[in-house]
This record gives sequence, structure tokens and C-alpha cells, in this order.
Amino acid sequence: MKEISVTFLLNGKKTSIKSQTNRTLLEVLRVDLGLTGAKDACGGEGECGACTVILNGKPVNSCMVFIGQVEGTHISTIEGLMEKNVFHRLQKAFVEAGAVQCGFCTPGAILTAKALLDENPHPTDQDIREGLSGNLCRCTGYNKMIDAIHLAEQGGLDD
Amino acid sequence: MTDQFLTVGKSLRRKDAWNKTTGKALYTADIQLDNIKVGLIVRSPHHYARILKIDKKRSLEIPGVLAVLTSEDIPGAKVFGPLVPDQPSLARDVVRHQGEPVVLIIAETKQSAKHAANQIQISYEPLTPVFDPVQAAQEDAPKLHQDGNVITVLNIGTGDVEKGFQTADHILEDTYILPRIHPGYMEPETSLAVWEEDQTITVWVSSQEPFTDQGCIAAALDLPVEKVRVKSGVIGGAFGGKEDSSLAILAALGAWAIKGAVRLVNTRRESFVAHPKRHPAQIHYKLGARSDGTFTALQAEAYLDTGAYASYGPAVAMILTETMAGSYQIPNVQVETSVVYTNSPLSGAMRGFGSPQSHFAVESMVDSMAEVLDMDPVQIRKVNILKVGDKMFTGVVLDDTAKALPICLDNAREVMDRFQSFEVSPGKKAGVGMALAVQSMGLGANVPDDSSHRLEWAPDGRVLIHLGSPDLGQGLAMAVEQITAEALGLPYNQVESLPLDTLDRPNGNVTCASRMTYMAGNALIDASKKLIQDLLARAGEILEVSPNKLEYKEGQILKEDGSKLPAVEFLGRLAEESITLTSESTFSFPYPQETTPQGLPIGMPHVMYCFGAQVARVEVDPDLGTIEVTHFAAIHDVGKVISRPGVEGQIEGGVATGLGYALYETMLKKNDQWVDNFTEYLLPTSKDLPTHFEIILLEIPEASGPYGAKGIGEIPLVPTAPAVANAVKNAVGVRVKTLPITPERVLGFID
Repeated sequence: MKEISVTFLLNGKKTSIKSQTNRTLLEVLRVDLGLTGAKDACGGEGECGACTVILNGKPVNSCMVFIGQVEGTHISTIEGLMEKNVFHRLQKAFVEAGAVQCGFCTPGAILTAKALLDENPHPTDQDIREGLSGNLCRCTGYNKMIDAIHLAEQGGLDD
Repeated sequence: MTDQFLTVGKSLRRKDAWNKTTGKALYTADIQLDNIKVGLIVRSPHHYARILKIDKKRSLEIPGVLAVLTSEDIPGAKVFGPLVPDQPSLARDVVRHQGEPVVLIIAETKQSAKHAANQIQISYEPLTPVFDPVQAAQEDAPKLHQDGNVITVLNIGTGDVEKGFQTADHILEDTYILPRIHPGYMEPETSLAVWEEDQTITVWVSSQEPFTDQGCIAAALDLPVEKVRVKSGVIGGAFGGKEDSSLAILAALGAWAIKGAVRLVNTRRESFVAHPKRHPAQIHYKLGARSDGTFTALQAEAYLDTGAYASYGPAVAMILTETMAGSYQIPNVQVETSVVYTNSPLSGAMRGFGSPQSHFAVESMVDSMAEVLDMDPVQIRKVNILKVGDKMFTGVVLDDTAKALPICLDNAREVMDRFQSFEVSPGKKAGVGMALAVQSMGLGANVPDDSSHRLEWAPDGRVLIHLGSPDLGQGLAMAVEQITAEALGLPYNQVESLPLDTLDRPNGNVTCASRMTYMAGNALIDASKKLIQDLLARAGEILEVSPNKLEYKEGQILKEDGSKLPAVEFLGRLAEESITLTSESTFSFPYPQETTPQGLPIGMPHVMYCFGAQVARVEVDPDLGTIEVTHFAAIHDVGKVISRPGVEGQIEGGVATGLGYALYETMLKKNDQWVDNFTEYLLPTSKDLPTHFEIILLEIPEASGPYGAKGIGEIPLVPTAPAVANAVKNAVGVRVKTLPITPERVLGFID
């Protein structure tokens, strides 16, 4: 298998790795870079959203992205969401709203929500339901996630 | 009402939530250690086959392969099983379901392991499989296990059903078909095992019962139990499906074989075919009623497909049987439930544990009876509803908490009236339906149902909970932290529960059966009292006064003269003498001798019940058969709310799972392969769930519960599917008796 060198901006830091071409971004994040916030819940089939990262501003299933495709891209993972040790408003909102249960889908859901709010700062319920529909969750029934996203978009979480 | 509680009932933040929002929470697949090798399971492609030969030679030659293990390589017990030891860790001689583990490969990398899996030579002689439990129960069916395919037949009843039917004005009979359901936890099964230099083994699990895993691992490796240490990673959901030790045993076997570290992670496809599911069931239900709506007799016959191995099948059958009459007083009842082996993937525990199946039958049937009698569905329920002091057909007499049931029904009536008043979307037909539910708590009479937990009061004043049972993600830790904080009069933030580790932990027993907050909460209240007594005794020694002259309140020791001394001062002084205050308590689920009916099979009956009602409003497209659940109300008695977001989260998530059961989920066999992925097996998404969702909580205290609390883990998904089915019937006049209620079924194209 051919090995390639790939360089991209990961959570704002220039990152270069060498990898065989048949590997996914998810595998490289988890195994090579030790960033285990992105989860594999569907077996790498792009069905659950647990491995969501933000790639050039869009939420993507990192299990569906071959590593060669990320050359020159900007990638944000859950590990990069806190800034200067301050929780992102979505992280606060998910905790505050009780939107976290088992938490396995949480990193993916938060990143999907971030990409949504970046594009649409004040989404309706329907926008949120549409936006989150690629992130499966068995614990919450999504209600509190939707509450959390509203809480974040409306502000007022500074405590 | 003024609330006398400091912490209980409050909406607080889960402490584990922060790490879960940052990616720092370590699930078992995330734990990083040096030199972890990769485990891979070679699984049976056949539903049923004899294994003629396994040739490891070529796979062992693959570079990077460290071990290729079969049943023969297991040094100790080769089979396990929580109720019946019938499940081989690796298949011996025969495979009984597609996906059954046959060979375990340990390799340096995933690639090597996969390569080796491709090179393994296994010759099978396919046998004729049987999938239908009714067929499998016949004498001439292929016999999957030595003693035949029928594991259990429960036959429970009261009165005289024949006479009961004779006094009925109307008798209805129907057969209800329930599908195979994946628990659907997001974290697939995972285990990480490390063979230590001192000849012990440490195994991280994602499990509801690490102490059971410990015993299974010890038995399989022929080790004393104390040489096996089981630790809980953060658990990504379980819902009953992680009461299964199979992966932990195999990871441990791999680590033992290579004397190193091995991680096994199931893919979702493996999870589908190899891990226990909710039992598919066929329930034939016959109900008699007089013209005034009074039920006179119930006769039900149920077949549960437990798949290739028993798992918790016989216990699931008990709750299914006990709840077959639902929330109703029926004088003459006969229920026969058979648990049958088939060549399907195994079925076992899943949230609800038999009750979702029985409730679909009873709650659909009650609506059908109301229609035949031209009665209002709420009215017919009112006529028959169980009341305080009523004897259920198992002989269990309902205590004072049963007054919740009619209150649930009254609330449902009010919600139904409201839901019925909404305007219908153009082109759609709207309907409203409801269902009641009863769900037992606890493991059942005459089985060990104890739970032990420990408290430690650290010198800095923090109280550590050495919880003996795992938090599966549902929020057990928060609930017991709130209860302990309350019992000790300390701030919630001063109490912290620790993840499970069998090395130093009392056995809290399996987290299941809507019982963990109740069990652990009670044990920890008692442990808190002991801790306070110990503190006062030691403070008395230090102050040279009798402990009787001291009082403890909210972190302070009060002297007779009214002066206060912070407890933490004493904790510090004791720490200087290397004394740490700890206390341990065991709570045993109460099955009072005088009121618990005897003479039933071991594990029956369940004596404590949770109650609820749910109402669904649907809009159905009469041309396409598509169903949208537009409004939903869940009415539940929780005894006492410990954590409000925790309770709401259980209900919202439970209903979502119930709606999946109602409308979307079924693990079918297509082209001779089981559906094993989320493309074809549809979990509800955020777009599929009702936009209007309301929760009505009742707090009728359970006298034996911690601050009056009872369980809420399971019941939220129990009445959901029949409530939807009843709403669909109300909307378009079609009674769907097979789940899920797909458009094809609404339009009458299938079944």
C-alpha cells in the first residue's frame, strides 16, 4: 500500500502525517494523533455522526474521508473547541441543558451544532432538527440537545 | 408545597458531562496504553453448521500475527451464560447462529489481523436452520441443544379462564408480532485486557455487570477470582444489551495467550449479529369482557425467540408473563410463555425486559375491546384499572403507590382531549391514542438482589462514593451523588462518585431492572448515617465528650453549648493519625415473606411496580400510509424526583426508543443475511420525533425508596408503541398488530 504525506491545519495547528492511502481521517485522528473525541459508532459507514469533525467549515463524518483528501484543509475536532481553557458556549449549553447522557454522540453533536450556528446564528427548531439529523443518539431523544443549541444561540451562559 | 430538600429534586449539572463535551472522557476504545495488540473475531457465516475442521496454519504465518485461538485454547470454562451455561466463548463443534465467534486472532495491527482472518481455513457442514420459535418448539424441529429447543415454559394464572370466558359478552382474539430490536447504544461493545507481570489480569469493560464479567473471565482462564481485576471505562449506553460477558472473556483470553495487552472492539455489524437483542415475540391474546366493559378472562400464549443461546431469555419471559394483564384487574387469567432456541442471533436483556412486548398486546387489545363495546378507551380502562389493594394474577397485592395508576389515567384523559382539539394538517388524518403501563423493579423474588456501596470521607471534606455498580450513561452517578449529598447535608459539589473497579469495591450488582437509583440510593443513605455516627464517635474521643452530646448537621459538629466545629477539622486530625472515615452498606431488595407470593418459579414474582401512561397524536397520510407523531405526552410516577434533568432524560430517551419500536426498527433477515447496519436498521433521528413533547411527573412516594424515589429507567418505552398503534387506529381505522407500524402495514400491503 502506498504511503503518502499529508499536511493540514488541525485545530489551528499545522499538522503533517504519513499514512497509507487506504486509511480514513477518523482512524488517523484516533490512532496516529491520539484524538479520541471522534467516535466510531456505526463501523465506519457514515451512518451515525459520532465521528463528526468540521472540515473547511462543514461538518463531515471523518470515517467517510480518506486521509489523502484532507491535504491543505482546515479541520476542527472536539479537542480544539475550548479556547484558552474556556469552554465553548455549546459545551456549556450541553452541560447546562442536561443534553449529555452517555456522551458517546456528544462530541459529534456539538461539532454539528457549531457548524450549524456558524452558518445560521439563530436557527429555528426545525433547522436544528434538520441539522442534527445525521447524529444518532439513543439516550436523549434529542429534546435536550435542541434545548442546548437554543441556549447557546441565545447567549446568557456566562457564569 | 415547601421543599425540605437541599439537593434532591434539584436540576444540577452532571459532573461527567464536562469531559464528555470536550472529548476527554475515556471510553474503553479510547484508553491508551503501551503496546496494545489488536483482537479480531472470526465469526460464523452460517446460521447453523457443524465445524468439521479449523486449520490455523496459514493464518499463523501472516507477519504480525501473535495468536490464533479456538475453543481448545481456552484453559478453563468454555461456555458461559447468566442463567444457563450454554454459550461457547468460541464455538465448539457446531455454530448455531450467523456471527457466532469461532476463532480469535491477536495481531500487531488491524491489517495483519484481517489478513490472518482471510487465511484461516474453517470447513463447515451446513445444517438446516430453524428461525421461527413456534416451529422450533415442535418435536420434529432440528434440535439445537441437547435438551431440545424449549428452554422454559411458564404457565401462570389465577381463577378459571373457561368460566371467565363463559361469563363474557364479547371475546376477542388476536395475534401480535413483535420484532427483534437492537439496544442501539452508540458505543459498540469493547474490552481491553492486560496480562500483568504478577500473573493477574486487568480488564476494562463496557458492561452493566463488571462483577459477573470478573467471574466469567476467572472461570474461562481458570484463575482465582481475585486475580481478575475488572474496571469500567466510561460507558456509551447499554440499555440492557451490555449484560453480556462475551467480549470481556475473549479480550482476556487474548491477553492471557500473548501475555500482553489486547483490545477488542466490535464493529456495528458485529454488534448486530453477535450481541443480545430484544426478544422477538409472538403473542396470541384472548380477552373476554362483559358489555359494561368489565374484563372477565384473559388467556395468552407467547413464544419468545431467544436465538441460539439462552442469555436472559428465561428471566425476560417472567416479566413478559407477569405484565401480560397490564394495568388491569382480570379475575381469570392463564398465561403460557415459551422461551425457545432458534438459529437467530441471541436475544437477551433490553430495557423493558419483556414488558414492551406484553404491553403492545394488552394495550392494543383493550382499545379493540373498547371499540367492540362502543366504549371510550379511557372509560374501559377506568372500569378495569388496578387499584390499591388489588391482587394481580401473580398474587402480588398492590400497595399504596398504585394510586398513581388512576391519576395517570386521568391525566391521559385531559391530554387526549387537548390533543384531539388540534387542527389537522391538509391532506392528513389525525388520531390520538393512549396506553397505560406497569413495569416492575428489581430482579425478582428468591434470587440474590443485593447491592453494596461504600463511602469515604476524605480529609479535605470531599465525600467519595465507591459505587459498586456502573453508571451506563443514564446518570446513576449524579443521582447517587445527590442522594448522598442530601443524606450528609453537604453541597453536591463536595460529593463525587468513582468509576467501578472490582479490585477494591463492594459488589453493587448489575445496573438493570429500574433498580439502581433505588438500591444504591438506599445503601448510600444508610452508609451516610454510619459515616456520621463514626465521625461523632471519633469527634467525641478528640473532644473528650460523649458522642451523645454531639450532633451533626450539614458538615458541622454541634456541641451542647451551641458552638459549631467544621467536620473537616476532625477529618484532618484523623488523617494525621492515618484514619480515613469509610462506611459500607448493603441494601437488599425487599421481598417480604408475608406478602410475597410463593410457589412461583425462582425469579418470580416482581413485587414493586412503576406506573405510567402515554398519549400520542399522529397524523397519517391516507394515500402514502406515512405516520408523523406530532404530539406526545408521557405521564409517569417516579416516587420522588432525585434529578429533574435525569428523570426527564430517561423519559425523553425512553420514548424515542419506544417510537423506534413503534415505527421504524426491526432486524430482518434479507437474502439470508441479518440486517446489521444503521442504513437498513433505522434508529429514530432528530427529524423523526414529535416536535411537541410534554412530561407530567407524579411524585407518589415509595415508602422503601431513597427519599421516596422509585425507578424510571425502563417504563418510559413500555406504553409508547401501543399508544401509537391506538392513535393510528383512531386516525385511519387500521389496527396494526405487527411492529413496526410501517406505511406498508398501514395500507394493508403486508401481514
